[in-house]
Amino acid sequence: MITLQDIEKVYQSDNGTIHALRGVNLSVKQGEIFGIIGTSGAGKSTLVRCINMLESPTKGIVTVDGQELTSLNEQELREQRKKIGMIFQHFNLLSSRTVYQNIAFPLELAKRSKEEIDKEVLHLLELVGLSDKKDQYPAQLSGGQKQRVGIARALANHPKVLLCDEATSALDPQTTKSILELLKDINRKFQLTIVLITHEMQVIKEICNQVAVIEGGKIIEQGKVIDIFTQPQSNTTKEFISSIINHNLPDFFKEITLASEPSADSNLILRLSFIGHSTEEPVISSMIRRFAIDASILYGNIDHIQTIPFGTLIVELSGEQASLQQALSYLKTRELGIEVIGYVARNARAIG
Amino acid sequence: MSQEMLVLLAKSLWETTYMVAVSSFISALLGIPLGIILVTTNKGHILENAPLNRILGAIVNATRSTPFIILMVAIIPVTRLLVGTSIGTNAAIVPLSIAAIPFVARIVESALKEVDYGVIEAAQAMGASPREIITKVLIPESLPAIVLGLTLTIISLIGYSAMAGAIGGGGLGDLAIRYGYQRFRADIMLITVVILIAQVQIVQSTGDYISNRLNKK
Ligand SMILES: Nc1ncnc2c1ncn2[C@@H]1O[C@H](COP(=O)(O)OP(=O)(O)O)[C@@H](O)[C@H]1O
Ligand SMILES: [Mg+2]
Repeated sequence: MITLQDIEKVYQSDNGTIHALRGVNLSVKQGEIFGIIGTSGAGKSTLVRCINMLESPTKGIVTVDGQELTSLNEQELREQRKKIGMIFQHFNLLSSRTVYQNIAFPLELAKRSKEEIDKEVLHLLELVGLSDKKDQYPAQLSGGQKQRVGIARALANHPKVLLCDEATSALDPQTTKSILELLKDINRKFQLTIVLITHEMQVIKEICNQVAVIEGGKIIEQGKVIDIFTQPQSNTTKEFISSIINHNLPDFFKEITLASEPSADSNLILRLSFIGHSTEEPVISSMIRRFAIDASILYGNIDHIQTIPFGTLIVELSGEQASLQQALSYLKTRELGIEVIGYVARNARAIG
Repeated sequence: MSQEMLVLLAKSLWETTYMVAVSSFISALLGIPLGIILVTTNKGHILENAPLNRILGAIVNATRSTPFIILMVAIIPVTRLLVGTSIGTNAAIVPLSIAAIPFVARIVESALKEVDYGVIEAAQAMGASPREIITKVLIPESLPAIVLGLTLTIISLIGYSAMAGAIGGGGLGDLAIRYGYQRFRADIMLITVVILIAQVQIVQSTGDYISNRLNKK
Protein backbone atom coordinates (compact mmCIF):
# COMPACT_ATOMS: atom_id res chain seq x y z
CA MET A 1 0.00 0.00 0.00
CA ILE A 2 2.87 2.34 0.86
CA THR A 3 6.46 2.05 -0.25
CA LEU A 4 9.29 4.41 0.48
CA GLN A 5 12.47 3.92 -1.53
CA ASP A 6 15.78 5.45 -0.51
CA ILE A 7 14.18 8.52 1.02
CA GLU A 8 16.56 11.31 1.91
CA LYS A 9 15.51 14.60 3.43
CA VAL A 10 17.85 17.50 3.95
CA TYR A 11 16.66 20.72 5.59
CA GLN A 12 18.53 23.89 4.72
CA SER A 13 18.26 26.31 7.57
CA ASP A 14 20.08 29.42 8.69
CA ASN A 15 22.26 27.46 11.07
CA GLY A 16 23.39 24.86 8.58
CA THR A 17 21.92 21.80 6.92
CA ILE A 18 20.12 19.05 8.78
CA HIS A 19 20.09 15.57 7.30
CA ALA A 20 16.74 14.45 8.76
CA LEU A 21 16.31 11.22 6.76
CA ARG A 22 19.24 9.17 5.49
CA GLY A 23 18.07 6.56 3.04
CA VAL A 24 14.83 5.19 4.43
CA ASN A 25 13.22 2.12 2.88
CA LEU A 26 9.85 0.97 4.11
CA SER A 27 6.98 -1.01 2.82
CA VAL A 28 3.56 -1.11 4.45
CA LYS A 29 0.99 -3.67 3.40
CA GLN A 30 -2.73 -3.09 2.95
CA GLY A 31 -4.62 -3.37 6.24
CA GLU A 32 -1.54 -3.24 8.44
CA ILE A 33 -1.04 -1.08 11.49
CA PHE A 34 2.55 -0.06 11.04
CA GLY A 35 4.32 1.65 13.94
CA ILE A 36 7.38 3.82 13.68
CA ILE A 37 9.12 4.52 16.95
CA GLY A 38 12.04 6.75 17.74
CA THR A 39 13.25 9.33 20.22
CA SER A 40 12.57 13.02 19.73
CA GLY A 41 14.40 14.40 16.71
CA ALA A 42 14.94 10.98 15.16
CA GLY A 43 13.04 12.02 12.04
CA LYS A 44 9.64 10.43 12.68
CA SER A 45 7.51 13.43 11.76
CA THR A 46 9.62 14.13 8.71
CA LEU A 47 9.19 10.52 7.62
CA VAL A 48 5.42 10.42 8.04
CA ARG A 49 5.07 13.80 6.35
CA CYS A 50 6.96 12.45 3.36
CA ILE A 51 4.24 9.84 2.91
CA ASN A 52 1.65 12.50 2.02
CA MET A 53 4.31 14.84 0.69
CA LEU A 54 3.67 17.60 3.20
CA GLU A 55 7.43 17.43 3.12
CA SER A 56 8.86 16.58 -0.27
CA PRO A 57 11.83 14.25 0.01
CA THR A 58 15.15 15.56 -1.23
CA LYS A 59 15.70 12.17 -2.87
CA GLY A 60 13.77 8.95 -3.23
CA ILE A 61 10.41 7.63 -4.36
CA VAL A 62 7.13 7.61 -2.42
CA THR A 63 4.37 5.35 -3.68
CA VAL A 64 0.91 5.17 -2.09
CA ASP A 65 -1.76 2.82 -3.39
CA GLY A 66 0.12 2.27 -6.64
CA GLN A 67 0.51 5.98 -7.32
CA GLU A 68 3.99 7.46 -7.34
CA LEU A 69 3.51 10.70 -5.41
CA THR A 70 7.01 12.01 -5.96
CA SER A 71 6.32 12.43 -9.69
CA LEU A 72 3.06 14.42 -9.40
CA ASN A 73 2.47 18.14 -9.82
CA GLU A 74 0.78 20.22 -7.10
CA GLN A 75 -2.72 19.82 -8.49
CA GLU A 76 -2.46 16.03 -8.92
CA LEU A 77 -0.89 15.75 -5.49
CA ARG A 78 -3.83 17.56 -3.87
CA GLU A 79 -6.20 15.03 -5.40
CA GLN A 80 -4.13 12.12 -4.09
CA ARG A 81 -3.94 13.66 -0.61
CA LYS A 82 -7.70 13.42 -0.35
CA LYS A 83 -7.19 9.65 -0.18
CA ILE A 84 -4.71 9.88 2.67
CA GLY A 85 -6.08 10.85 6.09
CA MET A 86 -3.88 12.35 8.76
CA ILE A 87 -4.22 13.05 12.47
CA PHE A 88 -1.92 15.11 14.64
CA GLN A 89 -0.57 15.38 18.16
CA HIS A 90 -2.23 18.74 18.68
CA PHE A 91 -5.36 17.82 16.71
CA ASN A 92 -5.18 20.91 14.46
CA LEU A 93 -8.92 21.49 14.35
CA LEU A 94 -10.41 24.72 13.04
CA SER A 95 -11.35 26.69 16.15
CA SER A 96 -13.91 28.77 14.27
CA ARG A 97 -15.89 25.71 13.17
CA THR A 98 -18.14 23.42 15.14
CA VAL A 99 -17.45 19.72 15.43
CA TYR A 100 -19.90 19.12 12.59
CA GLN A 101 -18.31 21.78 10.39
CA ASN A 102 -14.82 20.49 11.12
CA ILE A 103 -15.74 17.04 9.91
CA ALA A 104 -17.51 18.56 6.92
CA PHE A 105 -14.38 20.48 5.94
CA PRO A 106 -12.63 17.80 3.85
CA LEU A 107 -15.96 16.98 2.21
CA GLU A 108 -16.37 20.62 1.21
CA LEU A 109 -12.89 20.49 -0.27
CA ALA A 110 -13.95 17.43 -2.24
CA LYS A 111 -16.91 19.45 -3.57
CA ARG A 112 -19.56 17.11 -2.22
CA SER A 113 -23.19 18.20 -2.10
CA LYS A 114 -24.84 19.47 1.10
CA GLU A 115 -26.97 16.33 1.41
CA GLU A 116 -24.00 14.01 0.95
CA ILE A 117 -22.00 15.98 3.49
CA ASP A 118 -24.80 15.85 6.02
CA LYS A 119 -25.24 12.12 5.66
CA GLU A 120 -21.53 11.43 5.85
CA VAL A 121 -20.86 13.70 8.84
CA LEU A 122 -23.71 12.28 10.91
CA HIS A 123 -22.45 8.80 10.21
CA LEU A 124 -18.89 9.73 11.17
CA LEU A 125 -20.08 11.42 14.35
CA GLU A 126 -21.71 8.18 15.32
CA LEU A 127 -18.62 6.17 14.45
CA VAL A 128 -16.44 8.21 16.81
CA GLY A 129 -19.16 8.54 19.45
CA LEU A 130 -19.63 12.30 19.34
CA SER A 131 -23.16 12.66 17.99
CA ASP A 132 -24.20 14.73 21.01
CA LYS A 133 -21.32 17.17 20.53
CA LYS A 134 -21.90 18.10 16.94
CA ASP A 135 -22.66 21.78 17.53
CA GLN A 136 -19.90 22.41 20.03
CA TYR A 137 -16.69 24.21 19.23
CA PRO A 138 -13.29 22.53 19.71
CA ALA A 139 -12.52 24.81 22.66
CA GLN A 140 -15.36 23.12 24.54
CA LEU A 141 -13.98 19.59 24.06
CA SER A 142 -11.49 17.46 25.98
CA GLY A 143 -8.29 16.27 24.33
CA GLY A 144 -9.69 12.83 23.63
CA GLN A 145 -12.84 14.28 22.08
CA LYS A 146 -10.77 16.60 19.91
CA GLN A 147 -8.77 13.66 18.63
CA ARG A 148 -12.01 11.83 17.84
CA VAL A 149 -13.06 14.80 15.74
CA GLY A 150 -9.63 14.65 14.11
CA ILE A 151 -10.15 10.98 13.31
CA ALA A 152 -13.65 11.55 11.92
CA ARG A 153 -12.33 14.38 9.77
CA ALA A 154 -9.46 12.22 8.51
CA LEU A 155 -11.86 9.43 7.55
CA ALA A 156 -14.41 11.65 5.81
CA ASN A 157 -13.18 11.03 2.27
CA HIS A 158 -12.82 7.26 2.81
CA PRO A 159 -9.03 7.25 2.67
CA LYS A 160 -6.95 4.18 1.93
CA VAL A 161 -4.33 5.20 4.44
CA LEU A 162 -4.38 6.95 7.81
CA LEU A 163 -1.23 8.68 9.05
CA CYS A 164 -0.93 9.38 12.76
CA ASP A 165 1.79 11.71 13.99
CA GLU A 166 2.06 11.24 17.77
CA ALA A 167 -1.73 11.11 17.84
CA THR A 168 -1.90 10.09 21.48
CA SER A 169 1.15 11.88 22.87
CA ALA A 170 -0.88 14.78 24.23
CA LEU A 171 -3.39 12.49 25.95
CA ASP A 172 -3.49 10.79 29.33
CA PRO A 173 -3.04 6.98 29.46
CA GLN A 174 -6.76 6.30 29.82
CA THR A 175 -7.72 8.46 26.84
CA THR A 176 -4.79 7.07 24.86
CA LYS A 177 -6.22 3.60 25.35
CA SER A 178 -9.65 4.61 24.09
CA ILE A 179 -8.23 6.38 21.03
CA LEU A 180 -6.06 3.35 20.23
CA GLU A 181 -9.14 1.14 20.57
CA LEU A 182 -10.95 3.37 18.11
CA LEU A 183 -8.06 3.18 15.65
CA LYS A 184 -7.99 -0.60 15.97
CA ASP A 185 -11.74 -0.71 15.33
CA ILE A 186 -11.45 1.42 12.23
CA ASN A 187 -8.56 -0.66 10.98
CA ARG A 188 -10.66 -3.81 11.27
CA LYS A 189 -13.90 -2.33 9.95
CA PHE A 190 -12.52 -0.65 6.85
CA GLN A 191 -9.33 -2.62 6.29
CA LEU A 192 -7.66 0.76 6.61
CA THR A 193 -3.89 0.87 6.49
CA ILE A 194 -2.53 2.86 9.43
CA VAL A 195 0.94 4.32 9.86
CA LEU A 196 1.51 5.43 13.39
CA ILE A 197 4.39 7.46 14.72
CA THR A 198 5.17 7.46 18.41
CA HIS A 199 7.88 7.66 21.00
CA GLU A 200 5.97 5.35 23.34
CA MET A 201 6.54 1.61 23.10
CA GLN A 202 3.26 1.06 24.91
CA VAL A 203 1.39 2.37 21.85
CA ILE A 204 3.26 0.02 19.54
CA LYS A 205 2.61 -2.90 21.84
CA GLU A 206 -1.06 -2.03 22.07
CA ILE A 207 -2.03 -1.93 18.40
CA CYS A 208 0.73 -2.38 15.85
CA ASN A 209 1.41 -5.46 13.73
CA GLN A 210 4.69 -4.20 12.33
CA VAL A 211 7.19 -1.81 13.79
CA ALA A 212 10.22 0.08 12.56
CA VAL A 213 12.71 1.74 14.87
CA ILE A 214 14.16 4.98 13.58
CA GLU A 215 17.30 6.64 14.87
CA GLY A 216 19.27 9.51 13.40
CA GLY A 217 17.17 9.44 10.23
CA LYS A 218 17.72 5.73 9.60
CA ILE A 219 15.57 2.69 10.17
CA ILE A 220 17.76 0.60 12.43
CA GLU A 221 15.43 -2.32 13.00
CA GLN A 222 12.07 -3.48 11.71
CA GLY A 223 9.81 -6.47 11.78
CA LYS A 224 6.76 -7.99 13.42
CA VAL A 225 6.05 -6.43 16.78
CA ILE A 226 6.17 -9.79 18.54
CA ASP A 227 9.61 -10.53 17.07
CA ILE A 228 11.02 -7.14 17.91
CA PHE A 229 9.73 -7.49 21.45
CA THR A 230 11.13 -10.92 22.00
CA GLN A 231 14.39 -10.52 20.11
CA PRO A 232 15.39 -6.87 20.03
CA GLN A 233 18.73 -6.39 18.30
CA SER A 234 19.83 -2.80 18.80
CA ASN A 235 20.39 -1.04 22.09
CA THR A 236 17.85 1.65 21.22
CA THR A 237 15.19 -0.97 20.66
CA LYS A 238 16.11 -2.74 23.89
CA GLU A 239 15.80 0.54 25.72
CA PHE A 240 12.36 1.22 24.27
CA ILE A 241 11.22 -2.25 25.23
CA SER A 242 12.67 -2.04 28.70
CA SER A 243 10.46 0.99 29.27
CA ILE A 244 7.51 -1.39 29.37
CA ILE A 245 8.96 -4.88 29.67
CA ASN A 246 11.81 -5.33 32.04
CA HIS A 247 14.59 -6.80 29.96
CA ASN A 248 17.37 -5.90 32.34
CA LEU A 249 18.71 -8.39 34.78
CA PRO A 250 17.34 -8.07 38.29
CA ASP A 251 19.53 -6.11 40.66
CA PHE A 252 21.01 -8.98 42.59
CA PHE A 253 22.95 -10.03 39.49
CA LYS A 254 25.12 -7.01 39.97
CA GLU A 255 26.69 -8.62 43.01
CA ILE A 256 27.70 -11.92 41.49
CA THR A 257 30.25 -12.69 38.84
CA LEU A 258 28.99 -14.43 35.76
CA ALA A 259 31.22 -16.61 33.64
CA SER A 260 30.45 -17.24 30.04
CA GLU A 261 31.84 -20.80 30.11
CA PRO A 262 30.77 -23.61 32.43
CA SER A 263 33.14 -24.94 35.03
CA ALA A 264 32.87 -28.23 36.88
CA ASP A 265 31.00 -26.74 39.73
CA SER A 266 28.72 -24.02 38.37
CA ASN A 267 25.03 -23.32 37.96
CA LEU A 268 23.47 -22.22 34.71
CA ILE A 269 21.40 -19.05 34.54
CA LEU A 270 18.96 -18.75 31.65
CA ARG A 271 16.39 -16.29 30.45
CA LEU A 272 13.43 -18.03 28.88
CA SER A 273 10.79 -16.19 26.92
CA PHE A 274 7.47 -17.76 26.11
CA ILE A 275 5.22 -16.56 23.36
CA GLY A 276 1.64 -17.46 22.65
CA HIS A 277 0.73 -21.13 23.31
CA SER A 278 4.12 -22.04 24.69
CA THR A 279 3.18 -20.11 27.84
CA GLU A 280 0.70 -22.86 28.57
CA GLU A 281 3.20 -25.68 28.23
CA PRO A 282 4.72 -26.96 31.49
CA VAL A 283 8.27 -26.81 30.18
CA ILE A 284 10.05 -26.33 33.47
CA SER A 285 8.39 -29.17 35.30
CA SER A 286 8.86 -31.63 32.46
CA MET A 287 12.51 -30.61 32.27
CA ILE A 288 13.00 -31.29 35.95
CA ARG A 289 11.32 -34.65 35.62
CA ARG A 290 13.52 -35.69 32.71
CA PHE A 291 16.90 -34.60 33.95
CA ALA A 292 18.69 -34.78 37.23
CA ILE A 293 18.64 -31.09 37.90
CA ASP A 294 16.97 -28.51 40.07
CA ALA A 295 15.55 -25.23 38.95
CA SER A 296 14.82 -22.11 40.86
CA ILE A 297 13.03 -19.14 39.47
CA LEU A 298 14.83 -15.86 40.03
CA TYR A 299 12.50 -13.61 38.14
CA GLY A 300 9.22 -13.97 36.32
CA ASN A 301 6.90 -11.74 34.38
CA ILE A 302 3.97 -12.23 32.07
CA ASP A 303 2.65 -9.66 29.66
CA HIS A 304 0.49 -9.40 26.59
CA ILE A 305 1.35 -8.03 23.19
CA GLN A 306 -2.16 -7.30 22.04
CA THR A 307 -3.82 -10.70 22.54
CA ILE A 308 -0.63 -12.74 22.55
CA PRO A 309 0.67 -13.66 25.98
CA PHE A 310 4.37 -13.10 26.40
CA GLY A 311 6.28 -14.27 29.44
CA THR A 312 9.82 -14.00 30.71
CA LEU A 313 11.49 -16.22 33.28
CA ILE A 314 14.99 -16.11 34.63
CA VAL A 315 15.92 -19.49 36.06
CA GLU A 316 18.96 -20.92 37.73
CA LEU A 317 19.62 -24.60 37.03
CA SER A 318 21.84 -26.68 39.23
CA GLY A 319 23.10 -30.21 38.82
CA GLU A 320 25.86 -32.17 37.15
CA GLN A 321 27.37 -30.26 34.26
CA ALA A 322 26.37 -32.99 31.79
CA SER A 323 22.74 -32.90 32.97
CA LEU A 324 22.70 -29.14 32.69
CA GLN A 325 23.82 -29.31 29.08
CA GLN A 326 21.20 -31.99 28.33
CA ALA A 327 18.53 -29.80 29.86
CA LEU A 328 19.70 -26.86 27.78
CA SER A 329 19.52 -28.93 24.59
CA TYR A 330 16.06 -30.09 25.59
CA LEU A 331 14.88 -26.50 26.10
CA LYS A 332 16.21 -25.58 22.69
CA THR A 333 13.84 -28.07 21.12
CA ARG A 334 10.84 -26.39 22.73
CA GLU A 335 9.08 -23.38 21.31
CA LEU A 336 10.62 -20.70 23.42
CA GLY A 337 13.33 -18.09 23.42
CA ILE A 338 16.50 -18.97 25.31
CA GLU A 339 19.30 -16.73 26.31
CA VAL A 340 22.20 -18.06 28.34
CA ILE A 341 22.95 -15.32 30.83
CA GLY A 342 25.98 -17.11 32.25
CA TYR A 343 27.35 -19.50 34.82
CA VAL A 344 27.82 -18.81 38.49
CA ALA A 345 29.83 -20.70 41.03
CA ARG A 346 27.47 -22.99 42.96
CA ASN A 347 28.33 -21.46 46.31
CA ALA A 348 27.85 -17.95 45.02
CA ARG A 349 24.17 -18.25 45.63
CA ALA A 350 22.33 -19.93 48.38
CA ILE A 351 20.53 -22.48 46.29
CA GLY A 352 21.04 -25.95 44.85
CA MET B 1 -26.77 77.70 19.55
CA SER B 2 -28.22 79.09 16.36
CA GLN B 3 -30.10 77.12 13.75
CA GLU B 4 -27.32 77.94 11.32
CA MET B 5 -24.68 76.43 13.62
CA LEU B 6 -26.70 73.23 14.02
CA VAL B 7 -26.93 72.81 10.26
CA LEU B 8 -23.20 73.35 10.01
CA LEU B 9 -22.59 70.78 12.72
CA ALA B 10 -24.82 68.22 11.05
CA LYS B 11 -23.10 68.79 7.73
CA SER B 12 -19.66 68.38 9.30
CA LEU B 13 -20.73 65.23 11.09
CA TRP B 14 -21.96 63.78 7.82
CA GLU B 15 -18.71 64.75 6.04
CA THR B 16 -16.59 63.06 8.69
CA THR B 17 -18.72 59.94 8.63
CA TYR B 18 -18.60 59.86 4.85
CA MET B 19 -14.81 60.32 4.67
CA VAL B 20 -14.18 57.71 7.31
CA ALA B 21 -16.66 55.21 5.88
CA VAL B 22 -15.40 55.42 2.31
CA SER B 23 -11.71 55.39 3.22
CA SER B 24 -12.27 52.52 5.67
CA PHE B 25 -13.99 50.57 2.93
CA ILE B 26 -11.26 51.23 0.37
CA SER B 27 -8.45 50.50 2.79
CA ALA B 28 -10.09 47.22 3.85
CA LEU B 29 -10.71 46.28 0.23
CA LEU B 30 -7.04 46.73 -0.67
CA GLY B 31 -5.36 46.28 2.71
CA ILE B 32 -6.81 42.85 3.49
CA PRO B 33 -5.54 41.20 0.30
CA LEU B 34 -2.21 42.96 0.77
CA GLY B 35 -1.97 41.58 4.32
CA ILE B 36 -2.82 38.11 3.05
CA ILE B 37 -0.09 38.34 0.43
CA LEU B 38 2.39 39.58 3.04
CA VAL B 39 1.73 36.50 5.18
CA THR B 40 1.42 33.80 2.55
CA THR B 41 4.52 34.82 0.59
CA ASN B 42 6.63 34.56 3.72
CA LYS B 43 9.34 31.93 3.90
CA GLY B 44 7.86 28.49 4.49
CA HIS B 45 4.29 29.67 3.93
CA ILE B 46 1.82 28.45 1.33
CA LEU B 47 2.77 30.88 -1.45
CA GLU B 48 6.41 31.51 -0.52
CA ASN B 49 7.85 34.27 -2.69
CA ALA B 50 10.73 36.10 -1.06
CA PRO B 51 11.24 38.92 -3.63
CA LEU B 52 7.55 39.86 -3.72
CA ASN B 53 7.38 39.70 0.06
CA ARG B 54 10.37 41.96 0.45
CA ILE B 55 9.16 44.54 -2.09
CA LEU B 56 5.65 44.75 -0.63
CA GLY B 57 7.04 44.91 2.88
CA ALA B 58 9.28 47.82 1.93
CA ILE B 59 6.42 49.75 0.29
CA VAL B 60 4.18 49.20 3.29
CA ASN B 61 6.87 50.34 5.69
CA ALA B 62 7.69 53.42 3.63
CA THR B 63 4.04 54.51 3.58
CA ARG B 64 3.58 53.78 7.26
CA SER B 65 6.61 55.73 8.33
CA THR B 66 5.60 58.88 6.45
CA PRO B 67 3.73 61.26 8.79
CA PHE B 68 0.14 61.64 7.60
CA ILE B 69 0.27 65.39 7.20
CA ILE B 70 3.30 65.05 4.88
CA LEU B 71 1.79 62.14 2.98
CA MET B 72 -1.34 64.19 2.40
CA VAL B 73 0.57 67.05 0.83
CA ALA B 74 3.02 64.85 -1.02
CA ILE B 75 0.35 62.96 -2.91
CA ILE B 76 -1.65 66.02 -3.98
CA PRO B 77 -0.82 65.33 -7.66
CA VAL B 78 -2.22 61.82 -7.33
CA THR B 79 -5.32 63.18 -5.62
CA ARG B 80 -5.87 65.66 -8.45
CA LEU B 81 -5.48 62.88 -10.97
CA LEU B 82 -8.01 60.68 -9.20
CA VAL B 83 -10.74 63.12 -8.14
CA GLY B 84 -9.95 66.20 -10.19
CA THR B 85 -9.31 68.44 -7.18
CA SER B 86 -7.17 68.47 -4.08
CA ILE B 87 -9.74 70.21 -1.90
CA GLY B 88 -12.91 68.82 -0.31
CA THR B 89 -14.19 65.66 1.23
CA ASN B 90 -13.68 63.45 -1.82
CA ALA B 91 -10.14 64.69 -2.19
CA ALA B 92 -9.43 63.89 1.47
CA ILE B 93 -10.49 60.28 0.92
CA VAL B 94 -7.42 59.64 -1.26
CA PRO B 95 -4.70 60.33 1.33
CA LEU B 96 -6.83 58.79 4.07
CA SER B 97 -7.12 55.53 2.10
CA ILE B 98 -3.49 55.50 1.08
CA ALA B 99 -2.40 55.95 4.67
CA ALA B 100 -4.79 53.29 5.96
CA ILE B 101 -4.08 50.55 3.39
CA PRO B 102 -0.65 49.62 4.78
CA PHE B 103 -2.02 49.97 8.30
CA VAL B 104 -4.74 47.43 7.52
CA ALA B 105 -2.21 45.24 5.72
CA ARG B 106 0.04 45.02 8.78
CA ILE B 107 -2.90 44.40 11.08
CA VAL B 108 -4.22 41.61 8.87
CA GLU B 109 -0.71 40.24 8.59
CA SER B 110 -0.29 39.97 12.34
CA ALA B 111 -3.80 38.52 12.73
CA LEU B 112 -3.12 35.79 10.15
CA LYS B 113 0.26 35.00 11.68
CA GLU B 114 -1.57 34.02 14.84
CA VAL B 115 -3.23 31.12 13.03
CA ASP B 116 -1.49 27.93 14.15
CA TYR B 117 0.51 26.58 11.24
CA GLY B 118 -0.57 23.08 12.21
CA VAL B 119 -4.11 23.91 11.14
CA ILE B 120 -2.84 25.06 7.75
CA GLU B 121 -0.91 21.84 7.41
CA ALA B 122 -3.97 19.82 8.31
CA ALA B 123 -5.83 21.56 5.49
CA GLN B 124 -2.94 20.87 3.11
CA ALA B 125 -3.00 17.23 4.14
CA MET B 126 -6.69 17.17 3.18
CA GLY B 127 -5.81 18.45 -0.28
CA ALA B 128 -6.78 22.12 0.15
CA SER B 129 -5.41 24.53 -2.46
CA PRO B 130 -3.75 27.80 -1.40
CA ARG B 131 -6.95 29.67 -2.32
CA GLU B 132 -9.04 27.32 -0.17
CA ILE B 133 -6.59 27.65 2.69
CA ILE B 134 -6.92 31.44 2.54
CA THR B 135 -10.71 31.56 2.30
CA LYS B 136 -11.59 28.57 4.47
CA VAL B 137 -8.81 28.54 7.05
CA LEU B 138 -6.78 31.73 7.37
CA ILE B 139 -9.59 34.28 7.18
CA PRO B 140 -12.25 32.49 9.26
CA GLU B 141 -9.69 31.53 11.91
CA SER B 142 -8.39 35.07 12.30
CA LEU B 143 -11.68 36.92 11.79
CA PRO B 144 -12.03 38.08 15.43
CA ALA B 145 -8.55 39.62 15.29
CA ILE B 146 -9.21 41.14 11.85
CA VAL B 147 -12.41 42.77 13.13
CA LEU B 148 -10.51 44.29 16.05
CA GLY B 149 -7.85 45.53 13.64
CA LEU B 150 -10.42 47.12 11.37
CA THR B 151 -11.99 48.77 14.41
CA LEU B 152 -8.63 50.27 15.22
CA THR B 153 -8.29 51.42 11.61
CA ILE B 154 -11.64 53.19 11.68
CA ILE B 155 -10.72 54.93 14.91
CA SER B 156 -7.41 56.07 13.47
CA LEU B 157 -9.22 57.30 10.38
CA ILE B 158 -11.56 59.39 12.52
CA GLY B 159 -8.48 61.09 13.94
CA TYR B 160 -6.77 61.48 10.56
CA SER B 161 -9.97 62.80 8.99
CA ALA B 162 -9.92 65.68 11.46
CA MET B 163 -6.40 66.43 10.29
CA ALA B 164 -7.41 66.16 6.64
CA GLY B 165 -10.31 68.50 7.39
CA ALA B 166 -7.93 71.11 8.68
CA ILE B 167 -6.44 71.52 5.23
CA GLY B 168 -9.68 71.81 3.35
CA GLY B 169 -11.30 68.41 3.63
CA GLY B 170 -14.35 69.50 5.57
CA GLY B 171 -15.77 67.53 8.45
CA LEU B 172 -15.66 67.98 12.20
CA GLY B 173 -11.95 68.78 12.31
CA ASP B 174 -12.44 71.58 9.85
CA LEU B 175 -15.35 72.92 11.90
CA ALA B 176 -13.37 72.83 15.13
CA ILE B 177 -10.48 74.71 13.59
CA ARG B 178 -12.49 77.35 11.71
CA TYR B 179 -15.06 78.12 14.35
CA GLY B 180 -13.82 76.71 17.62
CA TYR B 181 -10.22 77.88 17.22
CA GLN B 182 -10.13 80.78 14.77
CA ARG B 183 -13.40 82.41 15.96
CA PHE B 184 -12.99 81.55 19.60
CA ARG B 185 -16.26 79.55 19.75
CA ALA B 186 -15.51 77.38 22.79
CA ASP B 187 -18.99 75.82 22.58
CA ILE B 188 -18.33 74.61 19.02
CA MET B 189 -14.92 73.29 20.02
CA LEU B 190 -16.41 71.43 22.95
CA ILE B 191 -19.26 69.94 20.97
CA THR B 192 -17.01 68.67 18.14
CA VAL B 193 -14.67 67.07 20.65
CA VAL B 194 -17.62 65.39 22.38
CA ILE B 195 -18.95 64.09 19.06
CA LEU B 196 -15.53 62.75 18.06
CA ILE B 197 -15.16 60.97 21.39
CA ALA B 198 -18.66 59.52 21.06
CA GLN B 199 -17.89 58.28 17.55
CA VAL B 200 -14.74 56.54 18.73
CA GLN B 201 -16.60 54.96 21.65
CA ILE B 202 -19.38 53.66 19.45
CA VAL B 203 -16.98 52.22 16.90
CA GLN B 204 -14.86 50.58 19.60
CA SER B 205 -17.79 48.98 21.42
CA THR B 206 -19.34 47.74 18.19
CA GLY B 207 -16.02 46.28 17.10
CA ASP B 208 -15.45 44.59 20.47
CA TYR B 209 -18.95 43.16 20.42
CA ILE B 210 -18.65 41.69 16.90
CA SER B 211 -15.17 40.31 17.58
CA ASN B 212 -16.37 38.66 20.77
CA ARG B 213 -19.31 37.09 19.04
CA LEU B 214 -17.02 35.66 16.36
CA ASN B 215 -14.44 34.34 18.79
CA LYS B 216 -15.00 30.64 19.53
CA LYS B 217 -11.72 30.03 21.30
N1 LIG C 1 11.17 22.44 8.82
C1 LIG C 1 12.36 22.10 9.32
N2 LIG C 1 13.45 22.85 9.08
C2 LIG C 1 14.65 22.48 9.56
N3 LIG C 1 14.89 21.39 10.30
C3 LIG C 1 13.85 20.60 10.57
C4 LIG C 1 12.53 20.90 10.10
N4 LIG C 1 11.69 19.93 10.53
C5 LIG C 1 12.44 19.07 11.23
N5 LIG C 1 13.74 19.46 11.26
C6 LIG C 1 14.86 18.74 11.90
O1 LIG C 1 14.87 17.42 11.43
C7 LIG C 1 15.14 16.49 12.47
C8 LIG C 1 14.01 15.49 12.59
O2 LIG C 1 12.84 16.15 13.03
P1 LIG C 1 11.44 15.44 13.20
O3 LIG C 1 11.15 14.64 11.99
O4 LIG C 1 10.46 16.48 13.59
O5 LIG C 1 11.73 14.47 14.42
P2 LIG C 1 10.73 13.71 15.39
O6 LIG C 1 9.35 13.86 14.85
O7 LIG C 1 11.23 12.30 15.37
O8 LIG C 1 10.90 14.32 16.73
C9 LIG C 1 15.35 17.33 13.72
O9 LIG C 1 16.73 17.52 13.90
C10 LIG C 1 14.67 18.63 13.40
O10 LIG C 1 15.29 19.69 14.07
MG1 LIG D 1 7.61 14.76 15.72
